[in-house]
Amino acid sequence: MENYAIEMKHITISFARKVANDDITLQLRKGEVHALLGENGAGKSTLMSILFGLFKMDSGEIYVNGKKEIIDNAVTANKLGIGMVHQHFKLVHNFTILENIVLGVEETHFGFLKLDKARKRVEEICKKYHFDLDLDAKIEDITVGMQQRTEILKMLYRSNDIMIFDEPTAVLTPQEIQEFMEIVKNLKKEGKSILFISHKLDEIKEVADRCSILRKGKLIATVDVDKVSKEEMSEMMVGRKVNLKVDKAPAKPGETVLEVRHIEVAGEKGHKDKVRDVSFDVRAGEIVCIAGIDGNGQSELIKGITGTKPLKAGTIKIMGQDFTHKSIRYKNTHGISHIPEDRHRDGLILDYNMEKNMVLQEYFESRFSHAGFLKQKEITEYTDELIKDYDIRSMSGPTSIVRNMSGGNQQKIIVAREMTKEHKLMIAVQPTRGLDVGAIEYIHKNIVKQRDKGIAVLLVSFELEEVMNLADRILVMFEGEIVGEFTDIQNLDLNELGLYMAGGKRMPKKEVA
Amino acid sequence: MDLVYFLIQQTLLFMIPLLIVALGGMFSERAGVVNIALEGIMVMGAFTSIFFINLTQTYMSGNAQLLIAILIAAVSGMAFSLFHAIAAVNLKADQTISGTALNMFAPAFAVFIARIVQTVQQIEFKNTFRIVEVPVLSKIPIIGEILFRNTYITTYIGILILILSSVVLYKTKFGLRLRACGENPHAANTAGIKVELIQYAGVLISGALAGIGGLVFVVPTSTNFNATVSGYGFLAVAVLIFGQWKPKYILFASFFFGFMKALSNSYASIPFLFALNIQSNIYKMIPYIATILVLIFTSKKSSAPRASGIPFDRMQR
Amino acid sequence: MKKRKDFAPFISSLTAIVCGLIIGFIILCISNPTEAVAGFGTILTGSITHGAKGIGQVLYYATPLILCGLSVGFAFKTGLFNIGGSGQFLIGAFGAVVIGLTCPQLGPFQWVVGLLFAILLGAIWGAIPGILKAYFNVNEVITCIMLNYISLFWVNMTVKGSKVLFNTMRNESKDIPKVATLPKLGLDKLFDGSSVNSGIIIAILVAILLYIILEKTTFGYELKACGLNKAASKYAGINENRSIVYSMVIAGAIAGLAGGIMLLSGTGRHIEIKDVIPNEGFNGISVALLGVSNPIGVIFSGLFIAYLTAGGFYLQLFHFSKEIIDIIVAVIIYFSAFALIIKKFLERIKEKKADKSVQVTYNMHDKTIAEKKKGA
Repeated sequence: MENYAIEMKHITISFARKVANDDITLQLRKGEVHALLGENGAGKSTLMSILFGLFKMDSGEIYVNGKKEIIDNAVTANKLGIGMVHQHFKLVHNFTILENIVLGVEETHFGFLKLDKARKRVEEICKKYHFDLDLDAKIEDITVGMQQRTEILKMLYRSNDIMIFDEPTAVLTPQEIQEFMEIVKNLKKEGKSILFISHKLDEIKEVADRCSILRKGKLIATVDVDKVSKEEMSEMMVGRKVNLKVDKAPAKPGETVLEVRHIEVAGEKGHKDKVRDVSFDVRAGEIVCIAGIDGNGQSELIKGITGTKPLKAGTIKIMGQDFTHKSIRYKNTHGISHIPEDRHRDGLILDYNMEKNMVLQEYFESRFSHAGFLKQKEITEYTDELIKDYDIRSMSGPTSIVRNMSGGNQQKIIVAREMTKEHKLMIAVQPTRGLDVGAIEYIHKNIVKQRDKGIAVLLVSFELEEVMNLADRILVMFEGEIVGEFTDIQNLDLNELGLYMAGGKRMPKKEVA
Repeated sequence: MDLVYFLIQQTLLFMIPLLIVALGGMFSERAGVVNIALEGIMVMGAFTSIFFINLTQTYMSGNAQLLIAILIAAVSGMAFSLFHAIAAVNLKADQTISGTALNMFAPAFAVFIARIVQTVQQIEFKNTFRIVEVPVLSKIPIIGEILFRNTYITTYIGILILILSSVVLYKTKFGLRLRACGENPHAANTAGIKVELIQYAGVLISGALAGIGGLVFVVPTSTNFNATVSGYGFLAVAVLIFGQWKPKYILFASFFFGFMKALSNSYASIPFLFALNIQSNIYKMIPYIATILVLIFTSKKSSAPRASGIPFDRMQR
Repeated sequence: MKKRKDFAPFISSLTAIVCGLIIGFIILCISNPTEAVAGFGTILTGSITHGAKGIGQVLYYATPLILCGLSVGFAFKTGLFNIGGSGQFLIGAFGAVVIGLTCPQLGPFQWVVGLLFAILLGAIWGAIPGILKAYFNVNEVITCIMLNYISLFWVNMTVKGSKVLFNTMRNESKDIPKVATLPKLGLDKLFDGSSVNSGIIIAILVAILLYIILEKTTFGYELKACGLNKAASKYAGINENRSIVYSMVIAGAIAGLAGGIMLLSGTGRHIEIKDVIPNEGFNGISVALLGVSNPIGVIFSGLFIAYLTAGGFYLQLFHFSKEIIDIIVAVIIYFSAFALIIKKFLERIKEKKADKSVQVTYNMHDKTIAEKKKGA
């Protein structure tokens, strides 16, 4: 029998009837770096959360160093020598590095904190791993890379031998990524077993020994990294099959509707920029799709264009008119329709009824209001019309409270509203997220209909199938930049696309005026 | 010179309860639970302990009695604050609403019970607690005049609580964990800290201190308790904010607020202030206006505990 | 489905009321078991067993309760907690007293101008926390608490400092002349011996007006949208800061009106010069919570609490004091704090059910609920 640090056998867990992990078996050898690769929603983070005791699995077993264990909270995980660096660091912002490290395992003397011993030990660890940190600096004052090292120190201080990293490089700058790779190599040298979640192929090639690939909650394969090519891994990650087919004629692009030039959007305080020097056009009668893995700046790009997030630099034009500094209301009423990424958070007011949501972008227009009063009759009639046109189902028609409706029908409200109101540009972000097949097909058809009516469509999707089905042109976004553009969708190799998405390849930047 | 000593002694009388209660509020808020119930808890603490003094004053007096009363105030304040803890920590209820309920309950309860037991709502007590002069120490120049003459044992208790609070908050394991829970309970949770337990402790400490504060407020300034602490609990909330949730600034803030109160009470007997002809209500208003100004100027970079007022939800990451 | 949804808040209010009454009864039992049942009966029936006068008193007590409840409830609708009702009430009362005592030349319009001035001062007092919240991100709860005390001391100082306003003998504001008080509209004949006046009619009209604003106008649409979902309001281009300020201005105006009405009622109410802030604003919180912030609901919850208060007045016949009513109301508020949680919980279950019934799987709503909580 092989010597495993961790063995997760037949793990299954589901949320709200959706299976997130389906009979996954994962084995981490002692002293290896094991990567976990997969698209968004493939189930990587869920699996790690189970291992760290944050979620309870429905069935399956976990063995740590050959012994079966029940891990039901972070404390147990810690006792078993398992440490985890979460994607969002778990640090107290106004504590010093040292305080953050000892928090939870403080040494005391008659109830008083005793930090000198801890300080000495942390200093030794720092020396060993060549960390250059001021232990008395506050978290809010140090860089993200340093914060990550603090998290690593937390694990080392607790003598964790098994370390989990959840997308550790997502927030780092290129130099910091290089430094991080060195740290991982050193940790491995010290005999630590490391599991790390990533969807960047280069990184996996560089540091991992083996790689398990997940897709749609299932384990596809566990491979030795040096025996497979990047292309092969990418193929396993995205899969080949494209299920859905949308009938559409070739696009007949007309005049330029949206013109985006050199826009930049800042990240959170202390983090790198989310969108970096992005430029592109969308023309009337074409569907331009932004492909990429979640978190590469797509959401921020759209927020920058629609105005819910401030732009750091760059310009936006609609039909040649400068929209860069226009208010959200102006943009909404002068050509932009927007199906937002999170329908519950942004797109709907769940405690309003359907008819009130139907006029969310237009309630103030003379069609629906007079002298400050809502024209109730017109609003109801309009809603009735759209219910018929878009086949929206609910318990009590226009007065149904949206919260009580199904996800598919909620989304249809947004789709109906945004497609019906006057617009030149349709922006849709993940328009089919979490919907059933029927609803997906319906929404796809309508998006194509929009294009055929001469609307410019900008679609952001994390689902490759959706991208391949709808796009007339594909832009790939990686780390806040456009790294590739594809126009010949018919003959596009999916694996090639996956390679761009995972940062394995990039095209030279196009010069734009 | 006597005038200055008099003013400082007056200031001390007003600031000590503020100091104690605001420090109580600090423990609750830095554990992540907003506590605007301080006013109600003060009333509750003052009610039980003064009732005790009232009932025992025929055969007890002096500082021994006062010390027992302080203990009773602490325990009853703690018991009362338990309701806030249950609402805020276990049931994740709106902390402001729960606090409002407690503020409303306490005075009504005090009047109701007092009326039943003794038919009048005022609870009389004999003030036998004043220390005219502490031997030896009162001979120290300046400090002796200020701290060891015409004083109450509660002044020393207040100073003791201040020192203890700073030590507990900054020098102990419990303090470190408490602060972590108020800033980032999820970080504390992953570090293996039982957030709910710490928050309970924070609220209960605030209850005990607010209870003591209630008694300490009533004893030197009155000879009966009429189910009110005159908004001192809310003033303590202001002290807490003005003091930026830190013991040393809270000391400063309570001194400032206490000084304003002392001025409003005794400006008439101080010739040059009397000549200024500023009404006592102006002095009373200044602390509240100052707090609003501080809030405006610190709104960009607030030092309020980040998680204060937000119910901690384990499943949310 | 729709009907059940409408009942949920009603049930949560009812639960809170029942809990409050039970605990009130238990306290009566412990303090004086022999008279507890009779005393409790008086709380529940005292107001109607005293005939027209009793009912008139209920309406009189209900007037400030309804108005302050509307003030708090209106702010709730925009997601704001107006704990400053007491200060706004006091400042409004002051405004009414000033007009009532200094402007006899206004003749029959004196009370109208008095109320308008009360509204104006209340609105200004409400605008302060609104502006600080919208443009300086200062928590409105804290500002409101501070303003309560500032208004108290300011009003005390100004009344005391004015020969026209101050009654030195009784340490309170002077009596308002009868001509400057609100018309009785025959209500005093209808409910003989009670203090009821046209104030209750104004309160009900204000409730209806607010209902129309919230339900029928684009302005109300925006205010409620901000309270229900900030992110979606931003997405729809609604100016949230402006909504916050307007909402607080209106809330302050209504509480100010309540103060004005009470002082111009001609029922012997004065501004007493003591360091205690009036209770009306805090009572408004309980009325708003019980009426789930719905203007029409607030009319009923205001009447209910007034009914208890009027009943409590007759409690003194037994060996209980009327403070038991405050205790019951406090317990009701306490349980209302959970009721919101219970309501959310019920909704969540319902959502899951609705979800299942159409056989749609979506993993989003767990996340959204978590986010909503974070926002709250």
